[in-house]
Amino acid sequence: MIEHLPVLLVVLPIVGGTVPLVASLFTDRAGWLVATVTVLVHAALAGLLGWTVWTEGSVSYAVGGFAAPYGIELVVDGLSASVVVLISAVALGVLAYARHAGPHSNAFYSQFLLLVTGLTGMTVTGDVFNLYVFLEITGLAAYGLVASGREASSAVAALKYLIIGTVGASLYLLGVGYALAATGTLNMADLADKLATATGGYDSTLVLTAFGLMVGGLTVKVALFPLHTWQPDAYANAPDSVSAFISALVSTVSAYALARLLFSVFTVDFLEAVPGARWALLALASVSIVAGSALAVSQTNVQRMLAYSSVSQFGLVIAGFTIATPIAVVGATVHLLGHAVMKGGLFAASGIIERETGATTIGGYAGMAARTPVAAGAFAVLALAMVGVPPAVGFLGKWYIVVGAVEAGLWPVVAVLLASTLLTLAYFARLVERLYFAEPTIREDAAVADGGEGTDGSRSSSGYRPDGGASVSTGMIAVVVLAAVLAVALTAAVPALEQLLEQTLPPLLNQ
Amino acid sequence: MAEFLTLVPPVAVLLPVAILVALLPRRSGHALGALVPTLAVGWVWFVPTGAHFQTTFLGFEAVLFNVDDFSRLMGLIFGLIAAVAVLYSYASDADTTQTGFALSYVATSFGAVFAGDWLSMLFFWELMAVTSTLLVWHYGGKAVRAGFRYALLHGIGGTLLMAAILQTYVAKGTFLFASVPNGPETAGITAGLPAALAAIGIGVNVGFIGLHAWLPDTYPRPHVAASVFLCVFTTKTGVYGMYRAFPEGNVAIAYMGGGMAVFGAMFALFQNDMRRLLSYHIQSQVGYMIAGVGIGGALGQAGAFAHVFNHILYKGLLFMTAGVVIYRTGEQSLKKLGGLWREMPITAGAFSVAALSIAGFPYFNGFVSKGIVISASHYHFSKGPLPIGEFYTLEWLLLLGGVGTFMSFIKFGYYAFFHGEYEGSVPDANRLQSVAMLTVAALCVFYGVFDHALFSLLPFDVTDGDVVSHVYETYTIPHVVEGVALAVLGLLGFAVTKKPLSKLGRVPDVDSLYNPAVFYGTRALVVGVTELYAAVDRAVVGATRVLTAAVTDPNALYGRVVGVDEDDPAYPLRAGIGFSILVLAVFVTVALLLLP
Repeated sequence: MIEHLPVLLVVLPIVGGTVPLVASLFTDRAGWLVATVTVLVHAALAGLLGWTVWTEGSVSYAVGGFAAPYGIELVVDGLSASVVVLISAVALGVLAYARHAGPHSNAFYSQFLLLVTGLTGMTVTGDVFNLYVFLEITGLAAYGLVASGREASSAVAALKYLIIGTVGASLYLLGVGYALAATGTLNMADLADKLATATGGYDSTLVLTAFGLMVGGLTVKVALFPLHTWQPDAYANAPDSVSAFISALVSTVSAYALARLLFSVFTVDFLEAVPGARWALLALASVSIVAGSALAVSQTNVQRMLAYSSVSQFGLVIAGFTIATPIAVVGATVHLLGHAVMKGGLFAASGIIERETGATTIGGYAGMAARTPVAAGAFAVLALAMVGVPPAVGFLGKWYIVVGAVEAGLWPVVAVLLASTLLTLAYFARLVERLYFAEPTIREDAAVADGGEGTDGSRSSSGYRPDGGASVSTGMIAVVVLAAVLAVALTAAVPALEQLLEQTLPPLLNQ
Repeated sequence: MAEFLTLVPPVAVLLPVAILVALLPRRSGHALGALVPTLAVGWVWFVPTGAHFQTTFLGFEAVLFNVDDFSRLMGLIFGLIAAVAVLYSYASDADTTQTGFALSYVATSFGAVFAGDWLSMLFFWELMAVTSTLLVWHYGGKAVRAGFRYALLHGIGGTLLMAAILQTYVAKGTFLFASVPNGPETAGITAGLPAALAAIGIGVNVGFIGLHAWLPDTYPRPHVAASVFLCVFTTKTGVYGMYRAFPEGNVAIAYMGGGMAVFGAMFALFQNDMRRLLSYHIQSQVGYMIAGVGIGGALGQAGAFAHVFNHILYKGLLFMTAGVVIYRTGEQSLKKLGGLWREMPITAGAFSVAALSIAGFPYFNGFVSKGIVISASHYHFSKGPLPIGEFYTLEWLLLLGGVGTFMSFIKFGYYAFFHGEYEGSVPDANRLQSVAMLTVAALCVFYGVFDHALFSLLPFDVTDGDVVSHVYETYTIPHVVEGVALAVLGLLGFAVTKKPLSKLGRVPDVDSLYNPAVFYGTRALVVGVTELYAAVDRAVVGATRVLTAAVTDPNALYGRVVGVDEDDPAYPLRAGIGFSILVLAVFVTVALLLLP
């Protein structure tokens, strides 16, 4: 049983995903239950897998008994185990939120489980082509989920996401092709060995092209500037549950995949042999940090602001991975996981605030803390955690990345990282100030009577209202509060994560 | 006993108390809020020197609780004034949320002065900026915008200090202070660029000339009780930080201190808003402390910290008396007050004590500590570029600041309490306000008369010739004559400048004795300096406004620069599907072309 854990984690949700469709023959409300049971089992398995990795080190599994490098290999080390646990945890949180917030259809939960499959698969796979397959599964499920909003803009956003996402994935596939041509293998560990000894070594055009295409393709999925254009539309126009889910996980797992490529396929030796590649990625990440923040500051819609904030934060994560000293990689991982919790929580909190008050814009948030004290409180905590106010986890992640950059002597990057904190403060402090220290601009009666139609700063009544009202369940509140608590409490887990990564990172970093 | 006292750092107790105070009912909350700082005073008094609480913070060695003579003095006076200020808050109708914010500000100040390494100190330093901003914001209205400007300036100052600390870390390999175990060989911030950055960063907190505009901008605006808290902690922690950064002193910083003493006192003289006047005096008085730190050596540092201790007492008292006047009359401006001593004898008495203390009149505490700094500027410092007779450059700057202080407090007292008659009737301070004010007033006199009680608190014994370069004695005939002479000069100065300073003043007989040219020259100078200051002020405020506008609304900026039609606001920063694909294609092409 234990040795089959990696493959079970992928098989379970894909099988679970078919059940709601079959159940539709009998009832159209079975999806939530099926998804919850599946994700609960998934979480138990993920926990067990995490425990195994913690006690016994990395786990590897040959699918169907075909040994690597010819068969497909699944590899779970500390980094991937942490991400798998994150996927389970966030999926559970989103289910608790979606129980009341919807969507309620069976088809939604099938797609939801399919997305869990894709994300888990991307995380545990040890094969670059297999990674592409799961990338596409993830993408297709995410496009469908974004489109499940009932507004026209959801469909447009999903279409934009689909076209750009597919082009990105295709570029990645093209890169895999070049890598295959250069080495004749698709297994990550095998590729790492053979790329080093390929004709012409790391400098050969074939290897460089493969690197450029694969990284370029994944960069689209991570949504670094200037390839982020699909992302704000997708996040802001999807239903709240979907926004919370994909904002927390899709870019996160793509960033994980990019890190996996950097460390397990191309390795740190490649980055050292080709400084141009390293500087290009660092420059891209730095531009992303600054441009994402600047765009976030200029938004009036809160969810779009949060989306642009992701562009900036993922710049930070990728910068951490590219610096590639052990402490920077720990920092990037902490920020990767912490950002998922914080950003998911922020989207969920913004959803609750919209339901309770009708406020969707920064102007509309004025004085809303009095109307939704719990959600606004959680929002403020999460926002401050994202800025990096100690002792929140956002601070530790940034701190380690900065320390790594200082150690590596990358002073321009240090300057950008420090400036990013100020920039993050610029947009979140404004929101927190609006929430707590400003006079309301939305009148209570108007907002409650018609969902805020016609009042300044609120979405029209054609907004997504699955059950005809704007009520909020205890589960939704609990998820947001839990995210806020986790944003601080996870700090305590960082030493454990650090130890876990130390056991698995040195081989990745060749140190 | 000693182990028990060092078990937890004070901030870990004070912060939860601050939250509790905000949640409790008003009466019990304030009782707790006054009790706990009092207990903290006892704690600080009994905890042994050298006690420290060492831990690791983010993988670095950190000392969250480090007791030496400097931090002990800061802790004693912080706890004392916090307890009195909470009592005053209760008496002045402050709500519990505000007092909670104020106590969190107190707690983080304790954290900063008891930190044993730069990282912990910076951590609490930044938290102080946050908590004090919240305290200002809490009042609402005009305080909110002032709070933003305050936060912005302190954010920049904190970042500069952080840069200095990081560079020091690179040079020394540790964040620890030199005085704690395993600390580095040399204390303070590394010389060169880090020292300059630290001086400017800390200079924001202590109100260097040019960096001081936040003081009179922020402190007059919030609740009267909040002002009492604000006037104490930020600037004094700044002085403490300046000592930690420059334990050997620094000539430029010493002269900056002298300049601040004169500049602050002069601008205080131009003010009519009571709390604004007092805020300029914070800059002036902190100038003495900074001069002491800059002079360095045992005498200068002892003087600086003696002045910190005394200044907290009388400046707290001054803000309390001004607060009572505002609380009772609703007026901020001296122009609308007068003759209040008949209505409020207790407040007028407390004010007189505080004013004589700050001005440095013999037998009041300011006289003692200001004397130490001035003595250090004479016996422990170079002559400087412009000595006047017996007086060294820094020495006469500090003395001149003393004259200005007398002048402005004569002005304050004259217009608020003694000039004319107050129309109508107002009650005096209520009972608890009186208790708070009289306690502090008694301490001001006590430390003035029994100067050895003050000396025993100082980090260096100023009466011991082995410790200091020149033994200091408070009550010598020349020194007392000097104090009285400053007072007389202040009186004369006020009499001379009263007319140009106020249209309300009657024409005194003496001014016909002076040459009218001097008179008009003085006025031109006053107007010129005021205009210059106003121009600098306008430029700073304008630049801040432009920056804020650019950050909050880049689209509008883009529109102004590029010239976009206002009826059809294009969003240059959004992209369609086709454009996105084009960007992607170009991006990958460029990447592939550049990589090989």
